[in-house]
Amino acid sequence: MANTHGSYQIKSEVVNRAKPIMLGVAVLGWVGAIIAYFSNHDQFFSAYLFGYYYWLSLSIGATFFVMIQRQTQAEWSVVVRRLAETVMTHFWVLVPLFVPILFGLHSLYEWTHTEVVAKDKLLSGKSGYLNVTFFTIRVVVFLAIWCFLSWKLYSYSVRQDTNGDPKETKRAAWLSAPGIPLLIISASFASIDLLMSLQPHWYSTMWGVYIFAGGGVSFIALLILIAVWLRSNGILDEVITVEHYHDLGKLMFAFNVFWAYVAFSQYFLIWYANMPEETSFFVNRKVGSWLGVSLLLAIGHFIGPFIILLARGTKRHPVFLPVMAAWMLFIHAVDHFWIIMPVRNPNGVAWGQIWMNIATWAAIGGTCGFFFLTRLSKHSLVPVQDPFLEESLEFENA
Amino acid sequence: MQAVANEFKIPKENPLAKPPLIEGEQSFSTLTEAVSVVVEDKTPRNWYIAFAISVLGTMMLGGMLGYLVFTGVGVWGNNQPVGWAWDITNFVFWIGIGHAGTLISAILFLFRQKWRTSINRAAEAMTLFAVACAAIYPGFHVGRIWLAYWLFPLPYNQGMWPNFRSPLEWDVFAVSTYGTVSLLFWYVGLIPDLATLRDRATTKMRQMIYGIFSLGWRGSNRHWQHYEVAYLILAGISTPLVLSVHSIVSFDFAVSKLPGWHTTIFPPYFVAGAVFSGFAMVMTLMLVARWALNLQHLITMYHLEVMNKIMLVTGSIVGYAYSMEFFMAWYSGNMYEKFTFFNRAFGPYAWAYWTMFTCNVVSPQCFWSKKLRTSIPFMFFISIVINIGMWFERFVIIATSLHRDFIPSSWGYFRPSPVDILTFAGTFGLFMTLFLLFIRFVPVIALAEVKAVLAHQQHKAHGHAKH
Repeated sequence: MANTHGSYQIKSEVVNRAKPIMLGVAVLGWVGAIIAYFSNHDQFFSAYLFGYYYWLSLSIGATFFVMIQRQTQAEWSVVVRRLAETVMTHFWVLVPLFVPILFGLHSLYEWTHTEVVAKDKLLSGKSGYLNVTFFTIRVVVFLAIWCFLSWKLYSYSVRQDTNGDPKETKRAAWLSAPGIPLLIISASFASIDLLMSLQPHWYSTMWGVYIFAGGGVSFIALLILIAVWLRSNGILDEVITVEHYHDLGKLMFAFNVFWAYVAFSQYFLIWYANMPEETSFFVNRKVGSWLGVSLLLAIGHFIGPFIILLARGTKRHPVFLPVMAAWMLFIHAVDHFWIIMPVRNPNGVAWGQIWMNIATWAAIGGTCGFFFLTRLSKHSLVPVQDPFLEESLEFENA
Repeated sequence: MQAVANEFKIPKENPLAKPPLIEGEQSFSTLTEAVSVVVEDKTPRNWYIAFAISVLGTMMLGGMLGYLVFTGVGVWGNNQPVGWAWDITNFVFWIGIGHAGTLISAILFLFRQKWRTSINRAAEAMTLFAVACAAIYPGFHVGRIWLAYWLFPLPYNQGMWPNFRSPLEWDVFAVSTYGTVSLLFWYVGLIPDLATLRDRATTKMRQMIYGIFSLGWRGSNRHWQHYEVAYLILAGISTPLVLSVHSIVSFDFAVSKLPGWHTTIFPPYFVAGAVFSGFAMVMTLMLVARWALNLQHLITMYHLEVMNKIMLVTGSIVGYAYSMEFFMAWYSGNMYEKFTFFNRAFGPYAWAYWTMFTCNVVSPQCFWSKKLRTSIPFMFFISIVINIGMWFERFVIIATSLHRDFIPSSWGYFRPSPVDILTFAGTFGLFMTLFLLFIRFVPVIALAEVKAVLAHQQHKAHGHAKH
C-alpha cells in the first residue's frame, strides 16, 4: 500500500483535465441560455428556474448532509465529508445566479400581475405574502442563511486541516444544531415561494418536505459520482472504500424511499379527498404527454430504483451504484421539470423547447462545477486532521 | 489501511471520543449478573405494591368495558357533532407510544446506533403493551365486541365484507401486522437471553420454562449466524412499519374533507409525533426502572441525553407541522380552513390547544441546554409533560375539527363521561401490569447485544493503548 503524499490532494493534472471540460459545458450552456432568452423569453425563464432550483436543491441537500454528520459526530462519513462541504459552497455562486429570476418574476409568477390579483379574491387574499417586495426579501434572507451556514461549516473544516484543533469539530457540531432547523424552515419556504407559488391557487402542507427529500436523494447520488470520478483517477482509492459506497448507497435508497413516501402521501390524500382546489396540481399533470412524465416519475424515481437498490450487491457494485446514482440525478431533473414546466406548457411537454432546459441546466451546473473544481484543488480532499478520520478509514459494514 | 492511517497524522488521543456506553469495570459475567439478578432475586416488596395498584387499574378497565358492553357505547361522552372523541384519541395515543420501541429496535439498528442496546428490549416490550391497550378502543367501539372479527375479511356465508376503501379497515391490517412483527422481533432478540436464564436456573421449573422459550439455543456459531440474519431482516421489515402504521392512522383523518383533518403533511407529522410520545414514555419508565433495578451503569447519562435530543428533534418536527398547517390554512384562502384553525387556537378548546402547544413544542426546547438535558428530575418532569401534550394533540385534532361543523346550529362541545375517564385510566393499569410482569420474568436489557457493545468498547480501548 504505497501511498504518495499527494494521494489525498487532488492531482493537478486531473483538475487541469476536468476544468476545461466543465468550463466548456458552462460556456455552451450560457450561450444556449442567451439564445433561449432571445428566442422565447417566457420559456427561457421557466427553464432557468428549473436549472436554478435543480442545483440549489443539491446544495441544500449537501448542507443538510454535512450538518447531520456534524451534529451526530458520524464517523463513517468523514472521508467523504470534504466533498460534501465543497458542494455546499455552490451557494456562493448561486447568489448572483439568482438575479435573472428577479427579472423573470413577471413572466414566471401569476401573482405579480396586479390586475389579475385585484380581480381574484383568493390571490388578493394572499397578496400580503405573495408580493414582489416581500418575495425578494425572503429569498435574500434564505440565501444569506445558506451562505452563512455553508461558509462557516466549510471554514471550520478547512481550518482544522492546518491547525488540527478538535475544537473546530465542536464548533461545527454547535452550529449544526440550530443550523438544521434553520435550513429546513428556510428551504421549505423557499420551495413554497419559488415553486409552489407558480400555481398560486394551489397549496399543500407537504410541499416543503417533498422538495427537501428530493434534494436529499440527489445530493447523495452526486456525492457517489464525485467519489467514483476521483477514484477512477486514482485519487482516494485507498481511502473511500466499498464500505463507504455501501453506506452511501443505503442512504440514497433510504432517502429515495422517504421521497416516495412523501410524494405518495401527498398525491394519495389529494386524490382521495378529491377537492377541486387541491386536485388542480395533479389534474394539470395528467394532460397530454404530462401523464407520461408523471408515470415515468412514479416508476423511474421510486419503483425501479427501489427494486434495484434493495440488493446489497448493487450498493457495493463498482458499476451499478454509479449508474443508479446518475439515474437518480436524471430523474431528479425530471421531477423538477414536472413541477415547473406544466405551468408554462399546460397542454403537454414542449419537446421543441427542451433544449432550453438542458442549456440552463448545463449553464448553472457547469458554473457550479467549475467553482467546485477550483475549490477542490485549494485544499485536501479529506479532512486530514479530523479526530474521527481513523474510524472512518477503518470503517466496515458488519 | 494502517499505512494510510499513519499518513494522515492522526492525533493519538481523541478528545472528542464519545463516552463509554457501559460504565465501570465490567466483564461479561458482571453484566450477566446485573441483568439476570433482576429476574432471579426474590420479588421486592415495591414490585408487589406497584403490581397491586396496576392490577386494580386493569380490573377497573375490565369493569368499565363490561359496563359498556352491557349498556352500549352511549356510556361514553360522544355526542353529535363530536361522534369520535376519547375513543379514537386514546387509540392514537397508545399506538403512538409503541413507535419508540420500533424506532429504537429497527431504525437505530440500521443506523448502527449502539446505544440502543441498553433500552431496546424494554422499549420493544412497551410497543407490544401499547398496541394491546390501543386495540381495545376500536374493538369496543364497534359496540358488539363479539362481532369484532367482522373487521377481518373472512369469507363466510353472510357475504358481508368490510369496506376496503376505508382507512379504518387499513388500520386493522396495519396494526395487526405491526403487532405481529414487533412481537417476532422482540422474541427473536430475546432467545439468547432466555437461554442465559435457562442456563443459570436453579430450579427445575425455571429451567424448563426458560428452556422451552429459548428454543434449544446453544449459542453455536451457526445459531448466531442465523440469529444475526433473522435480526437484520426483521429490522428491515420493521423500518417501513414505523412509518406505515402511524401514516395509516393519520389517513383515518386526512382522507376526509374536514378542515383541520384533511392536510397532506399528516402522515410524516403523525409519525414524528408518535416517535416523540413514545420516547417520552420510554424515558418516564426507564428512569424509574434504572433506579429501581440498579442499572445506572448500563443506562447511562449518555443514553438519557441522546434520548432527550431525539425528543428535541421530534418535538421540533411536530412544531414545524403545527406551524405549516397554520400557515397553509391562511395561505389557502379557504374560509373553512381559516376558521378551523382560528377556532382551534382561540375557540372553546383554546385551553387544550395551548396546553398541547406548550407541552409539545415549547417544553422540549429546554433540551437545548446541556444542563437541563442531563438533569434527571427535569427530564422526568418533561417526559411526563410531553406525554400529556401528545395526548392533547390527538384530542385537539379530533375534537376541534368536529365540534363546530359546517352548520352553526349543530355546533356542540365534548365533555368526557366518567366512564371515558376511568376507561382511559384503566388502560394505564393494563399497560403497567404488563410492564411489571415483563420486568419480573424477562431480562429488561438485551444482554447479548450489550455484551457485544462491551466487547467492542474493550477492543477499542485496547487498540488505543497500543499506539
